[in-house]
Amino acid sequence: MRRHISALIVMGVLLTGRPTHAAAQARGALPPVSASTDLAAGKKVFDAQCAWCHGTDGDGGTGPNLRGKLRHATDFRSITDIVSNGIAGTDMPAFSGPLTERARTQTAAYVQSLSRAVPRPVAGNSRRGAELYQSTGCGGCHVIAGSGGIVGPELTEIATRRGPAYLRESIVRPAASHPNGYLVVRAVPKSGAEVRGVRVNEDVFWIHIRDAGGTVHTLEKAELTRVDRETDASLMPSYESRLSAPQLDDVVAYLSTLRGAK
Amino acid sequence: MTARTFAGRVLLAAPTGLRRVRKDPAYVLLAFLLTSAPLIAQSGEWTTYSGQLSAQRYSPLTQITPATVGKLRPAWVYQPPGTGSIEATPVVVNGVMYVTAGPTMVAALDLRSGKPLWEWTRPIAPSILNLGFPRVNRGVAYLDNTVYVGTLDGYLFALDARAGTERWSVHVGENPTGHSITAAPLVVDNKVIVGISGGEAGIRGFLDAYDAKTGKRLWRYWTVPSPGEPGSDTWPGDSWVHGGGATWLTGSYDPHLMLLYWGTGNPGPDWNGDSCIGDNYGTSSLLALDVETGKLRWTFQFTPHDVHDWDANQIPVLVDAEINGRTRQVVVAANRNAFFYVLDRATGEYLLGQPYAKQTWAKGLDEKGRPILIPNMEPTEKGTLVYPSLQGSTNWASPSYSPQTNMLYVPVREMGSIYFKTGVEYKPGTYYTGGSEKRLDEESWGAVRAIDVRTGTQAWDFPLPTPTWAGVMATAGGLVFSGSPEGNFFALDARTGKALWQFQTGGAIRSGPMSYFAFDKQYVAVAGGHALFVFALE
Repeated sequence: MRRHISALIVMGVLLTGRPTHAAAQARGALPPVSASTDLAAGKKVFDAQCAWCHGTDGDGGTGPNLRGKLRHATDFRSITDIVSNGIAGTDMPAFSGPLTERARTQTAAYVQSLSRAVPRPVAGNSRRGAELYQSTGCGGCHVIAGSGGIVGPELTEIATRRGPAYLRESIVRPAASHPNGYLVVRAVPKSGAEVRGVRVNEDVFWIHIRDAGGTVHTLEKAELTRVDRETDASLMPSYESRLSAPQLDDVVAYLSTLRGAK
Repeated sequence: MTARTFAGRVLLAAPTGLRRVRKDPAYVLLAFLLTSAPLIAQSGEWTTYSGQLSAQRYSPLTQITPATVGKLRPAWVYQPPGTGSIEATPVVVNGVMYVTAGPTMVAALDLRSGKPLWEWTRPIAPSILNLGFPRVNRGVAYLDNTVYVGTLDGYLFALDARAGTERWSVHVGENPTGHSITAAPLVVDNKVIVGISGGEAGIRGFLDAYDAKTGKRLWRYWTVPSPGEPGSDTWPGDSWVHGGGATWLTGSYDPHLMLLYWGTGNPGPDWNGDSCIGDNYGTSSLLALDVETGKLRWTFQFTPHDVHDWDANQIPVLVDAEINGRTRQVVVAANRNAFFYVLDRATGEYLLGQPYAKQTWAKGLDEKGRPILIPNMEPTEKGTLVYPSLQGSTNWASPSYSPQTNMLYVPVREMGSIYFKTGVEYKPGTYYTGGSEKRLDEESWGAVRAIDVRTGTQAWDFPLPTPTWAGVMATAGGLVFSGSPEGNFFALDARTGKALWQFQTGGAIRSGPMSYFAFDKQYVAVAGGHALFVFALE
């Protein structure tokens, strides 16, 4: 028994940095396990359930990058709460259904370990990246801190949502994935020129498309011969041949600093 | 408004007290005439959740047609107190509309002004559990100046239809263990039949019948057998105790056969079937129960040992149609598992089955309707891609049948999911699921799909941008009404599926349309978001 309590306290320290609270919580709810077993089990769950959105190793994907400071959680308890109950108003679902209490705790422990990991060094120079961002014209389509165009997604807090690998992929192969609200569609009217752009809204009878110039077209489907959803397309051109590899590193380094208001 | 207003347009539905006189040859003949093909209540009212006990959700009204529907306009809109959404189908009886909103409230609405005559609210604390479903209510039942409603905290209430005052209430299920009621009860034979939700919380499902006057429980049918009962050999160990088989949607009734038809939910745990290897008799099935005794007459299991959460609660529709060259009394169902079924409704004999939506889990159905499984389609730790998604190819949104076209109109969800299996343990009042899914949202879409019930083949398809949660209503005017998650309420030509009219309600439509006749006009009602919209020709 003594050894069990010691193991719990070790786990508590690892998970929260506050031994008394974590040990008490674990003692009441869960049988003893070792911290390393817990983290390994948490990683297994994470890889199956969470990496779809948060990326392998929590690097971010369609869901936030979990390496470094977390936006919605400050301690182990709040991470556990988010894993269990999700985040209202976001795509983060509740896992109180799919996962047992123990699995949720293990997953939260693994997420906390990610957030405490030393951030991976980002190749490139963010200052030069900022200059390249301006000189290449990225601001024509993207907003950062209130400045820029509206055709592409806002980047003010992009580093809180996407890791460096995802950001680099987005610049090299923008069509590889697109964020919610940026599906490219092509509408062909019965008469007149076709409209291609980002789908702003769609219902059964109408579709709204913002073209590359920023103009929104309101189209009644009855007046169209076809609407194509280009799930593998993006309005953004690839910058693979426009920027050298070091320049790409610089831009990624710059974007990785964008975490919103301090 | 009185019942007399409807005179001349009303051939009353089969009397609910028919059982008492069933041995009189004259009444047997009357019952036959009223309940055999086309098995619909020729009424200007809409007296029960699915329109008729046959659950055809078919309006016999003809004022609104393909030629006139272009002039359909909003007459009034009702918004209930609170913030709960409306997933209910209203009923209209004796000149009053009764509609419910989440988590549990009932409103009686004046048909002329749309204003409430009374509103009754069941206080629902935030601590009340709704494990696996939203905090909603899907409607009432009505009999003899009494409105019956189930509550999120697991009670059945009888309210005086004139004032909303409570006449009696009974405790149907314990909410701390996940029992809850969202479905509209069904009144037949002076009984109130009510199902229970909680399949994701590890309940053992049941269906109850209560005396409509007193609230006394008359029978309870347990969907999952206890040891020694038929089918118990399909439940190893004590797996039956938390075996699921919830009865969370409204059923249908054949007054001639005196049989209730009710669907049951998946076995528990949802996605980890390791603890209940076997067919799990009673789950993901259709039950045919003797209304007098609650005894099982026959059952048909659509998905044995279901590990994809493909509840079979979809409303069974009673139809008389020519099947394989012979007119048959059948029950038809577009199941959540992507197959359409036709069964003899007296015996449960499997007559016909066809996939009606994309599926990747079965090669087909054998001669008895049992699925022929494709190997390795079960949920795994790493995930298994299967069509349809766990919400199924259709879900609780009501289908509709038109005897004019012999078509069943089905709200369809075309979507796949990656199914995961995880560890699972039973703790009262928590999820008992053992897995999850990752939906393939981007590649998903929806449809209103017309299936010829005589052959199971698709007659037409009206595609929707996203998978739908809206019910469907066919009318004798030759129209099919339905809605979309994007808020469109629309009318299609029942024979061709061509869109003829639409109105943007501004909120997702997660309810079933209905129609009634008053003030010399046909009205059509549907809920969108938090509001109920009522339309008539201008």
